[in-house]
Amino acid sequence: MANTTPTDTKLDGSALRPLRDYKLVAMALSSLPTIVTFIAVAVLWQLVAYSNPYVIPTLDAIGNSLMSSPQMYWANLLVTAQEIAIGASMGIFAGFILAVIMCEFPLIERAVMPLMVVIMVTPVVAIAPALVVAFGFGMLPKYIVTGLVVFFPMLVNSLAGLKEADPRALDVLRTLHASRWEIFRDLRFPVSMPFFFAGLRIALPLSVVGAAVAEFVAAGQQAGLGSLLTIAAAQANLPVIWASIALLCLLGIVLIAALAIIRKRVLWWSDENAVGR
Amino acid sequence: MLMQDVSSQPASSLPKDDDVGVMVRNVSKGFGPEGAKITVLDDVSFDIKKGEFVSVIGPSGCGKSTLLKLVAGLSKADAGQVEINGSPVKAAAEAKSIGLVPQSPALLPWRTVLDNVRLPLLINKGANKGRDLRDPEALLRSFGLGNAMHKFPGQLSGGMQQRVAIARAFVFDPAVMLMDEPFSALDEMNRDQQRMGLLEFWQSNRKSVMFVTHSVPEAIMLSDRIILMAAHPGRIAEIIPVDLPRPRQEAAYATDAFRDLEGYVRNSLKKVMREAHG
Ligand SMILES: Nc1ncnc2c1ncn2[C@@H]1O[C@H](COP(=O)(O)OP(=O)(O)OP(=O)(O)O)[C@@H](O)[C@H]1O
Ligand SMILES: [Mg+2]
Repeated sequence: MANTTPTDTKLDGSALRPLRDYKLVAMALSSLPTIVTFIAVAVLWQLVAYSNPYVIPTLDAIGNSLMSSPQMYWANLLVTAQEIAIGASMGIFAGFILAVIMCEFPLIERAVMPLMVVIMVTPVVAIAPALVVAFGFGMLPKYIVTGLVVFFPMLVNSLAGLKEADPRALDVLRTLHASRWEIFRDLRFPVSMPFFFAGLRIALPLSVVGAAVAEFVAAGQQAGLGSLLTIAAAQANLPVIWASIALLCLLGIVLIAALAIIRKRVLWWSDENAVGR
Repeated sequence: MLMQDVSSQPASSLPKDDDVGVMVRNVSKGFGPEGAKITVLDDVSFDIKKGEFVSVIGPSGCGKSTLLKLVAGLSKADAGQVEINGSPVKAAAEAKSIGLVPQSPALLPWRTVLDNVRLPLLINKGANKGRDLRDPEALLRSFGLGNAMHKFPGQLSGGMQQRVAIARAFVFDPAVMLMDEPFSALDEMNRDQQRMGLLEFWQSNRKSVMFVTHSVPEAIMLSDRIILMAAHPGRIAEIIPVDLPRPRQEAAYATDAFRDLEGYVRNSLKKVMREAHG
């Protein structure tokens, strides 16, 4: 708390500093429990790792592995990131577009939804080898698996969002004889956005799973964190296994963090107490 | 001073007596599957003249909202006709002749107050030609919302939001205004204030208004006539003329004529309710 009092009196607007410092301290305090948890887990990890070197590697061994061949990890990370970027984009887009079509044409929803449920309950882990057989060891089956994994949560959430429009607001637009497009643009689409983002919150971490699983299955393929993991596992190379896992985890965290930032910018209006900022 | 005229209306546009704004003829409506249909409206007929303010009052579930939706063109009658300014509702909706104020403001939270009021001007633009559109900013200022214009609906009180919803319905200058209990969610004081504000605005911008309410004093204060509905099935029990002089001010509540009429309407309402239970 000592640094919340201004010690220097410059003329450059430093009068604002106490408030900013206070905010920083408050932020540090509020994230304290999180930090403590992470430190506790790390300590526990090290204790287990030192006494059981064949179960998990020490954190410094993982770190050393990452530092010793950064290009190799980076190249594999890029491959997986590309699979996620392209595959997830396709899945998100397809899920949303199909939701729009289903919302506008209930007949199509009734016709197609059962099929979608069948696709959803089919385990991706089982589909992946079939896709590899069909499309070879290239990138395409990985895009498809990643896309498939995100497709369903995006479809279901978008559809729920598009249907969430306030019936009274709909009545107002209908008395104006708004076209379908106008109703979509001015009401259904914005209303669906909180649901769309909730879908992304589920789908993006899943897309990392999808990409990794696709790489596990296409065992001949050398590139990607999932492939790297499979190969390292075959050699029981614990530091590489866990370094790959850590990077997959990092990918997920980056996606979630980026999502949170975008969400805040786009959906400020849907968080009641944030209105007007 | 809450709401005042923003466009000086030429005297020629004031209503002629034989001009009918809303015509409802022998309208029936039921819900439910064929065979097990429940009749909600049974042979309802009435007119609203151009520039006339008509309230609809009646027990809960008697079909007031259903009737309003038929007049708004939001649902179709099983039998009978609904016309607005001499043309079928569908054509009237296409021409943007109908303003709707729903029971809740139903504003769009991602648009500012001003952009919410602008919205009807941007929708179905083809119908904007040759009509007397209002300036949204001037309209909001006349509604006492000048300072709230650039705020978002979530930052406004319930009463202010409802006023925005009314401004949104007036902005494209519709021939007919339909309001379904627009003030029912407000507390008593707010409600009184919004009611007088609407009255003042309407007195200088006469539209045909169909106003659904549960409040007897509100119906009397605002209306030229009160349609009293009975339930099971929904039908018109009585049409009560309100012969109080206009323009009306808050003082009208205290007059004998008002009190007599209030007593009369309450009595009729009671009769209708008793009938429904007996
Ligand atoms: N879409 C619908 N499907 C089936 N029944 C309906 C539907 N809309 C209304 N009803 C029924 O019609 C009757 C009249 O409903 P309505 O909403 O018009 O009543 P109301 O007079 O507006 O009531 P309140 O004063 O409570 O608002 C009710 O019994 C209601 O259950
Ligand atoms: Mg109702």
